[in-house]
Amino acid sequence: MATVTGADADYQPYTLLLSLYGASLIKSDTYPYYRDPELWFEGQRAVVDMFDPDIVITPFSFPIEAEAFGSELIFLNKYAPNTRKPLLSNLSQIENILLPDPEKSPSLQFFLKSTDLFTQYYGGTKAIACPIHSPADFPALLMGIEMWIDTLFFHPEAVEKMMQKTIEHFVRLGNEFIDRGATFLVVPVNFTCPMIITESIFRKLIPYLENAFSQIKGPIVIHNGGAKLLPFIQQFAKLPNVIAFLLEPSESFDEARRLIGDKMVLMGNLDGPNLVNLTNNKAKEITLKILNNRKDDKHFIFASSNADIPYDTPVETIKTVVETIRGFKKYG
Amino acid sequence: MDNKEKQELIATLISEGEKDKAVQLLSDWSYQSSFKDIIFSVLEPMLVEWGKLWMSGKLSLAHGYLSGKVAEEFYLLAANDTEFKNSKVKSKGTVILGNVEDDYHPLGRRLVGIYAQAAGWEIIDLGTDVPAELFIEKAIENKADIIAVSAMMFTTAKNIIKVRHELDANALSGKVKLAVGGAIFKLRPELVAEIGGDGTAETAINAPDLFDALLKSKAI
Repeated sequence: MATVTGADADYQPYTLLLSLYGASLIKSDTYPYYRDPELWFEGQRAVVDMFDPDIVITPFSFPIEAEAFGSELIFLNKYAPNTRKPLLSNLSQIENILLPDPEKSPSLQFFLKSTDLFTQYYGGTKAIACPIHSPADFPALLMGIEMWIDTLFFHPEAVEKMMQKTIEHFVRLGNEFIDRGATFLVVPVNFTCPMIITESIFRKLIPYLENAFSQIKGPIVIHNGGAKLLPFIQQFAKLPNVIAFLLEPSESFDEARRLIGDKMVLMGNLDGPNLVNLTNNKAKEITLKILNNRKDDKHFIFASSNADIPYDTPVETIKTVVETIRGFKKYG
Repeated sequence: MDNKEKQELIATLISEGEKDKAVQLLSDWSYQSSFKDIIFSVLEPMLVEWGKLWMSGKLSLAHGYLSGKVAEEFYLLAANDTEFKNSKVKSKGTVILGNVEDDYHPLGRRLVGIYAQAAGWEIIDLGTDVPAELFIEKAIENKADIIAVSAMMFTTAKNIIKVRHELDANALSGKVKLAVGGAIFKLRPELVAEIGGDGTAETAINAPDLFDALLKSKAI
């Protein structure tokens, strides 16, 4: 919290996306790992025991969130699950979407029970981050990117119907996370980014995001999700409850500061999925480069960007990153 | 209005989401000059320019999607024009295109089809969720030079191995080249070789260059 308030502290907080990596540490197949909250939590306890991050992260798997709506999942060993195919094949099916009940949906219960376990073990000692799909991105997962782009261009009534559904789900699940002890929500914007949509589409989506975010009872971190944030960061920064941004690895923190000022928290931007390809020396070099760049930034949290750190990443590589952070003298 | 100004006007309309107006304008100009003239002097140069902008991150996938829709609808109109049909240069070769089995992400594949067609390739698009056997069957039936398979995710990219196995089983490897593409290959380039691909392109705009290179390397 000192980082959010900007209090002076000679301490560099950090977090890494080790959601999948917990399975690697406890030598679990991914299928039971992403089905059983107790097993998933056992993996995350192994993560905490091994690396001791300042922020722990509840399951990072949007396909499981889509499963709650009826999507079918594919499991591959050593990878997080994916959806088999888009749930919707035409716009008339939007009417038939039934919002999952967090108390009854096994998929949502996986997230919520995992959150309960985190709160029980780490509440008050570590920040608890709960990833949740953005209401503006979720339709792309349910109907496919092409159909959602087409809908945004040519079918405003369908956009309205779809967004009503995804906003209601987002608010219900997001507030459930907060009620159960989440310190903040993490909202990736894989779709709502300039790589995917035009600025005019983005402008159409902003009022929906304002509506959704304003109903959340806690803070929100915008996550790059593998996409660049800076082109739209000023608009995101004006959204209710947004306190932080997790930048993409190629993005400049200095440029982000120029665009949004000094108060909001910046996070990033070690390329998590690429960590498996780095030597220990290279991992250290990149970590130090990021730390030195933000040395005097009171509102900075070191974090991995993009998706999960891969299952086969050597423990020593991750330890090198952690030891480099822990040995770094901030403001020194 | 010169061709450059026409290209800019179409680009502006597409950026604003005005697909129908763009197609109508291209059609009006074609009746004033010819479909051949408007395709070769306005639409295709604009698509190439947009492809470059897309590659450099200055345009979004939505821009690509809409320009593809405009091109698709306009090519359909041009297909009925006798002069344009007669003016078509000899095809460079035939590509069997599709999303691999279990893959339902058509956007990249459709853009590849549009850019490759504009570059002179005969495209036979099999759509999404295409079994390996169907790729081979259509390649044999159409004496194809290339099978181009798209997969967005790691889970589905693995299915391309089946296409390679079918090529091997039918003694077609080397004679029919296997091009692979999709987001996962940008993230993990080593996967191209792992799943038996002969090559990949970074974006849809590069696909025709990849096809040219694969055609040159093809066993007779």
